[in-house]
Amino acid sequence: MQRVKNVDYDEDDLYDDDEEYGEESDDRDSEQNRSSFAELTPVVRAELEEAGVQASDKAIEDALWNSFWDVGKSVVFLKDRNAPRQTPKKQEKAKSKFDQAAERSAKETGGSSKLAKLAEERRKKAAATAAGGSSTDSELSSLDRLTKPKDSKENDAPSSVAEPRKYPIRKKREPTPPPKEPTPPPPTEPEEEKPDLRASPTAFARTLSTHPVQGRKVTAPALADLLGTEQSEDPFKGPSPDDTVLKAQQRSKGRSLSKQTEALKLDSQSTQATIRSKGLDVPKLWAEEKAKRKPAAAFVVIGHVDHGKSTLMGRLLLDAGAVSQRDVNKYQKQAAEMNKSSFALAWVMDTGDEERERGVTFDFAQHHFSTPKADFTILDAPGHRDFVPNMIGGASMADMAVLVVDANQLESGMKGQTKEHILLAKAVGLKKVVVAVNKLDAANPAWSQDLFEQVQADVRKLLLDSAFAEQDIKFVPCSGLGGANVVNAPKASSPAAWVSKAHFTLLQALERSIPPRIADQEVIRQPLRMQIVDVFRGGVTNPVSIAGRISSGSVQIGDIVTVRPSGEKATIRAIDVLDEAKDYAVAGQICSLHLSDIEAQHLRSGDLVCSLQHPVHGRRSVVLLIDVLEPLLPQPVDVHVGRLHVPATISQLVETVDGKGEQLKRRPRLLKAGQRARIKVSFEGSVPLVVGERVIVRTAGVTAAHGTVE
Amino acid sequence: MRLIKQNIEKKDGSGSATLLPEEPEDMWHAYNLIRPTDLLRASALRRITTESATGSTSSQRVQTTLTLRVTKLDFDPQASQLHVSGTVAEENKYVKLGGFHTLDLELQRNFTLTKADGWDSVALAQLRESIDQTKKAVCWAVVMQEGLANICLITEYQTILRQRVEVSLPKKRGTGKSSDHEKAVQRFFHTVLETLLRQLDLANSPASPVLLASPGFTATSFQSYIKSAASSSTPGIDVKTLKALLPQLLVAHSASGYLHSLAEVLASPAVTAKLSDTKFARETQLMDRFYELLRKDDGRAWYGPREIERAVEKGAVGRGGGVLLISNSLFRSQDVAVRRRWVTLVDKVKDDEGGEVRILSSVHESGKRLEGLGGVAAILTFPIEDLDDMGGEEGGEDVEEDEVVQPEVEGVEGRETIHEEFEI
Repeated sequence: MQRVKNVDYDEDDLYDDDEEYGEESDDRDSEQNRSSFAELTPVVRAELEEAGVQASDKAIEDALWNSFWDVGKSVVFLKDRNAPRQTPKKQEKAKSKFDQAAERSAKETGGSSKLAKLAEERRKKAAATAAGGSSTDSELSSLDRLTKPKDSKENDAPSSVAEPRKYPIRKKREPTPPPKEPTPPPPTEPEEEKPDLRASPTAFARTLSTHPVQGRKVTAPALADLLGTEQSEDPFKGPSPDDTVLKAQQRSKGRSLSKQTEALKLDSQSTQATIRSKGLDVPKLWAEEKAKRKPAAAFVVIGHVDHGKSTLMGRLLLDAGAVSQRDVNKYQKQAAEMNKSSFALAWVMDTGDEERERGVTFDFAQHHFSTPKADFTILDAPGHRDFVPNMIGGASMADMAVLVVDANQLESGMKGQTKEHILLAKAVGLKKVVVAVNKLDAANPAWSQDLFEQVQADVRKLLLDSAFAEQDIKFVPCSGLGGANVVNAPKASSPAAWVSKAHFTLLQALERSIPPRIADQEVIRQPLRMQIVDVFRGGVTNPVSIAGRISSGSVQIGDIVTVRPSGEKATIRAIDVLDEAKDYAVAGQICSLHLSDIEAQHLRSGDLVCSLQHPVHGRRSVVLLIDVLEPLLPQPVDVHVGRLHVPATISQLVETVDGKGEQLKRRPRLLKAGQRARIKVSFEGSVPLVVGERVIVRTAGVTAAHGTVE
Repeated sequence: MRLIKQNIEKKDGSGSATLLPEEPEDMWHAYNLIRPTDLLRASALRRITTESATGSTSSQRVQTTLTLRVTKLDFDPQASQLHVSGTVAEENKYVKLGGFHTLDLELQRNFTLTKADGWDSVALAQLRESIDQTKKAVCWAVVMQEGLANICLITEYQTILRQRVEVSLPKKRGTGKSSDHEKAVQRFFHTVLETLLRQLDLANSPASPVLLASPGFTATSFQSYIKSAASSSTPGIDVKTLKALLPQLLVAHSASGYLHSLAEVLASPAVTAKLSDTKFARETQLMDRFYELLRKDDGRAWYGPREIERAVEKGAVGRGGGVLLISNSLFRSQDVAVRRRWVTLVDKVKDDEGGEVRILSSVHESGKRLEGLGGVAAILTFPIEDLDDMGGEEGGEDVEEDEVVQPEVEGVEGRETIHEEFEI
């Protein structure tokens, strides 16, 4: 019972709502009111004349009084005087022209229904309170309403008879603005109002108000009289209830919000403006700027674990001036605290806590430095066998390789990763290699030339066996820890004096080994392909950034690219090459792309960034032409394509082939080391692979084969 | 599974067996026991729709016991659920003869199985295996690498991928401390630990060994992360359950974080010491031996259906070291003739030749390796060269995965998989 009672009460309450302004000042003849009449009457008259309606001064004054100085309402009232339902409403302080138009339009669409009136009433009340500087709680609580004085005047309106009772309850929660209002009017100052402005409404306002009013005047009253309601009109004419609610919410939150929204809009526009493509002809620009550029190369540092790769690179950076002595001193101090002072130089490259603690590189580190002659990017690969996948990722970004061998522990590497890394470097397509024979200062005797010659002979043999060409191999005796012959040639007085006579320093050797960029223009004109090597947060302004080496094509700011296999699109917001902001980047460069319009979760290292017009399609199975290094069966394997590392299954050994690709044996049972074969590999998901891509097949932590996609 | 009653004739294999599945793994046994064309009697929920005289329909669900002529089986290894479809073979008041029904076998509810063409030796062996009540070793494994963790449950017959955690980690960048990377790794460990604890459900089940395997130091770091989490309060993780977990942790090496490295993990000494004497330990050993012989290429290891049949014909899989390895997926064939072919082969090796027969579970690690080889392989007692060249051009058969259960694939479906990558 209690419940029902409450419901009833609520409904009563609702009707009360209309009458809450009934008890306004009765003093119609006050001085102030007089002047208001004098001011507003001509305005109303002008409006009425425009609509072709005649009215006496008295009638206009009455209307104004009843509508509490609301010109728009008065006009509508006078126009619709015959329709008893159109009782004009009062209480409007903000009399902007826009409001008038909106109200008028509201009146003749849904506004003439009781429901809309109620809603509008409430909205106006809210606006009034807001204008008055009080708190903008437009949604009147039921409690507030209970305290308002009752007035039964409103209930006399005939239309309320057929009012569906459910609607008011619903509407009570959301003060509804006039339903057909297209946008909330920008709040204008009431003082700025000018009569002449009102006299000639804009075409917009006229469309909103005048014509439908006239139309309705012809048909609606009859219908409404018949049915006692406006429901007979097209129920879908007005905005949907959802729209209404949304608008109401928007409105009720007041001006500050609309201003914020406005600001946001401007913001997004400006963002779009900044990442608009400059429409550069990148290949042409690249060719034009060729003369200005220094030669550039990325080299991967490979070799067995603990042969001093990271330390040598730390030394190179320090002596080339890319890292300050102060930083190294700091590392020295920290390393000494951990009893690892000999690792201080390696800490330049090994930045992870774990890496420093264990003295082992986990993932390849990337670092840029410049000499007067060239720009270099170091890719310091890990030597540990467990991190060979990371080494493959690094090697696939490089133009050449630096092989570091410990002169004193050649044997360990020959069986281990020195050999495997050489194979992998060849497998990813590197041709030039600089061999740094390291730790010669720790040899017995120090800087023994015999030892160097011996190591040189052994390593040269290994490289030649792995199909490196004689002229692409350079040997440099050096010491990473001591720094001799890395950037600076050893002193003439030292035991290493022989070195400077016959050998370059490491840096000189590097500068002389930079491979020419072959067929530059051709590769740049191909569609964009870049494998993502890293997904990171590039800072506050660039929440989603990726890094990698562009393998073909070019990219410029504003380009829209697609990421495979996720298929998501992204816009290039900014480009960094060698830690400098650039407008574009081309094939062969290692760059960071700062993206927008994409979530980081759609990006994985190993994914492929492609041009929108020529995306690479994912494949579930591929045929590989491989050189076998370890026996292979139909079995699960790991497939590496640069940074991409996916599990796969060899589903078929298709055939063994000879050097020319002619079939030797169909469906072999087993592939033996040294054979060349075609195999069919299937993946769990789809993998974006391009024909001719270099692939490495590993199983149980051993490189089993390398080859290309057919 | 408990055998409630059976009346199987030794002579012709006719008769039925009534079984009571007690634990989820029993569903796997049931999946291997029940074949299309068998008669299955089990309780089922059936929705009955009745139409009244006025044409209004009402439907209600009734619990009834149905006898089905099985047409299709569907096993979900993640949830250990077996769906059996078939036509009704015995009418009752709710169902008509020939009507279709799909029922889920339920734990703790009897079902009765009658073989259409009798219980053959393989079926009987499977039945014996399934009602073996000795306590089975169960262990968990987390095969991981930075950014990827596969949490799986290893039971006697199955390795089930329960959850994959995949997180994109930023690489170390530039000089100085790479805090983004470190933070991401910590967050990754936190996610893996939370997921693992949810899967282990330590509050309701006794702690079983948990293997942490990874290349490099990820597993070791993860272990120390768990230790530090157990000694300090980490949000979202109950310290008490974590302490119970600590002594169960076992660190092993794996070549990668992908599931197929599990074979290597299971063969590692740390694991075999704890889990020796299990069925899969022996099978993994046999598979390794097979691979080794195959690599040597001395003609004693062969794989592929045709080759093995020829080898058995020649009596090469017999006493003194002959081992026939066969995946149980071959016996699950829809085609009666195919099944008979393999049953005959098994019988021949076991009874006539005296060789060892190992039926490997296709959802276990060693079985999966065998699947790659066509589901059947053998270690011969004497070398035979060129088995594949005899009788025609066609050598090894294509390995097509048609009806092979692929738990990885099913793992993706609907399961809560963190950052699962879907292909387009």
